[in-house]
Amino acid sequence: MSERKRVLIVDDDPDFAAGIRAILDSQYDTVVAHNPEDGWEALQKDRYDLLCLDIMMGRGAEGVMMARKIRNDRVLREMPVLIITGLREQIAFLFPGQAVHPGFVPVDELVEKPVEPELLLQKAAALIAASEARRKE
Amino acid sequence: MTEQRRRILLIDDEEVVLDSCLAILEDGEHDVATTASGAEGLERARSWSPDLVFVDLKMPGMSGMEVLDALRALDPTIVAIVFTGFATIASAVEAMQHGAFDFLAKPFTPEEFRAMVRRGLEQRTLVVERAALRREREALRENFAAIVSHELRSPLAAVQQNLYVTIKELEGVVTDEQRQRLERMSSRIGDLLGLVNRWLRGFSVDLAPLKESFRPIAVADPLASAVESAQPEAVRKAVDLVVDVDPAAIVLGDAGALGEAFLNVIGNAVKYSREGGRVVVDASRRDAKVQVTVTDSGVGIPAADLPRIFDAFYRGRAGESGVAGAGIGLALTRRIVEAHGGSISASSDPGRGSVFVIELPAHEAPVPGPEETPPQQVSKGEAG
Repeated sequence: MSERKRVLIVDDDPDFAAGIRAILDSQYDTVVAHNPEDGWEALQKDRYDLLCLDIMMGRGAEGVMMARKIRNDRVLREMPVLIITGLREQIAFLFPGQAVHPGFVPVDELVEKPVEPELLLQKAAALIAASEARRKE
Repeated sequence: MTEQRRRILLIDDEEVVLDSCLAILEDGEHDVATTASGAEGLERARSWSPDLVFVDLKMPGMSGMEVLDALRALDPTIVAIVFTGFATIASAVEAMQHGAFDFLAKPFTPEEFRAMVRRGLEQRTLVVERAALRREREALRENFAAIVSHELRSPLAAVQQNLYVTIKELEGVVTDEQRQRLERMSSRIGDLLGLVNRWLRGFSVDLAPLKESFRPIAVADPLASAVESAQPEAVRKAVDLVVDVDPAAIVLGDAGALGEAFLNVIGNAVKYSREGGRVVVDASRRDAKVQVTVTDSGVGIPAADLPRIFDAFYRGRAGESGVAGAGIGLALTRRIVEAHGGSISASSDPGRGSVFVIELPAHEAPVPGPEETPPQQVSKGEAG
C-alpha cells in the first residue's frame, strides 16, 4: 500500500469544511483552507492529490476564479478538482447550458452540499485513481 | 445647497402668459423652458425631462387634456399643473382626473404662481421619493426569498453534513434507538433543505437560458413523468388519476422543466382532492395551441383567492384540507409555462373542484428520434 494521499479542502464555511474533513480523514491526509488565498498558498507549498473546492466563497464565485487559475497553471492543472457546491443551479448559471463547463479542469466532478459520506469517498477515490492512471500513460 | 436645479416647463399658446411667468421666475433659481403648443411641449418634455410642467388647457391643436395624458404616459413622476380661465373650472377638475396635480386660474398673481411652483416642486420630490421606495421594495421582494434561502441553506447544509459524519462515526457505538433519533434529525433537516431548495429554484434561477435547450417534445412525456411522481400520493388517498393525452400534441420545450410544472399542478390536484376523489389530466391540440387541463373534484379555491394563487408565497386558507405547502409551486409553474411562451389559468367551484388550464404554443414538426438533431426549418419550395 502506498502512502496516504493528500487532499486539500477549500471552503469558507468552517462547519462545512470540518464535516468534509471528518469524512475524508478516514482515508486521506487532509488540509483545510478557509479562503481561496490560503488555499492557493497551500497549493504552492505542497503537492496534493485532490482538491475539494467550494464554489461560492467570499464575494460571489471566488471558487470559480481559483479553479480557473489552477487550470491555467502548468503543474496544478494535473490535479483533480472536486467541486462542492451549494446549488447545482449556481454552476449552471456560471456555465450556462451544462452542469459543469467541459473545459473547466481536466477531470472534475461536482457534488451538492450536503454530500453523503459514501458518495464523497467514492468520488474522491475515483478522481484520484483517474488522475494516477493518466499520469502513468 | 448642492441640490440639482429643478426644471420647469411652461406650455401655453398665449405669449403674454409665458412672458409673465418667465418674469416671475426670473430669480434664476430654476431652469425654465417655454413652448407655445402641446406638441412642442411634449417634445421638449421628452428630451429635457422637466420636474414640473404647467399646461394651458385651451390651446389650438393638441389640447391640454391630451398633453396631460401623454405626459403621464411619458413619465408619471412629472408633476403637471394646468392653467385655466375662470370659465373652465369644471375642466380643471377633469384635468385633475387626467393626472394634473392642481390648477391655477387665470389671471393669477405672481405670488400665486410662485406658491404653485413651490407646491408643485414639493410634490415632485414626494413623487420621486415614493417611486424610488416602491422600486426598492419591489427589488427587495424579488430578492428576499433568494437572500433568505441562501442564509438558511448554508447552515442547514453544514448541520446535515456533520450529522452524516456523526451518524457514520457512531455506527455500532450508539443504540438502535439513538441511531434512529439521529436519523430522524437528519431526515427532518433533509426535508427543510429540500424546501429551501425549492424556494431557491423558484426565485433565483434564471429560466431564460432554458430556451437554449428547447426541442420538440410530445407533452405526453413530461406529463407521464409528472403523473408517475404524483401516483403514490394518489394511491395513498385512493384518488383516481385518469390520464387522456393526445400523443400528437407537440411543443417546443424543456421536458424536465415542463415535467416540474405539470407535477406542481397535478400534485396540487391530488393534494386538494378528498379521499376517493378523481383527477383528470387531459392534453390535446387546440388550433395553434396545446392545451393541458387538470380537473379535480376537490375542495376548490375561493373566488377571492383565485387571482393570487400564482403569486409566490400565496397559499389559500388551508380550509377543510389543512394541507401544508410552501406556496411556491404554482408561482414556479407559471414562470416555467411563461418561459415556454404559454399561459396558465385556473377556475374553481368552491367545494366541488378546480380546473387548471395550461396552454402552450403547438409545434408543427414531428418529434425527432433520440439520435436525430432537431430539424432545421425547411422552406416550402424545397420541401415540395
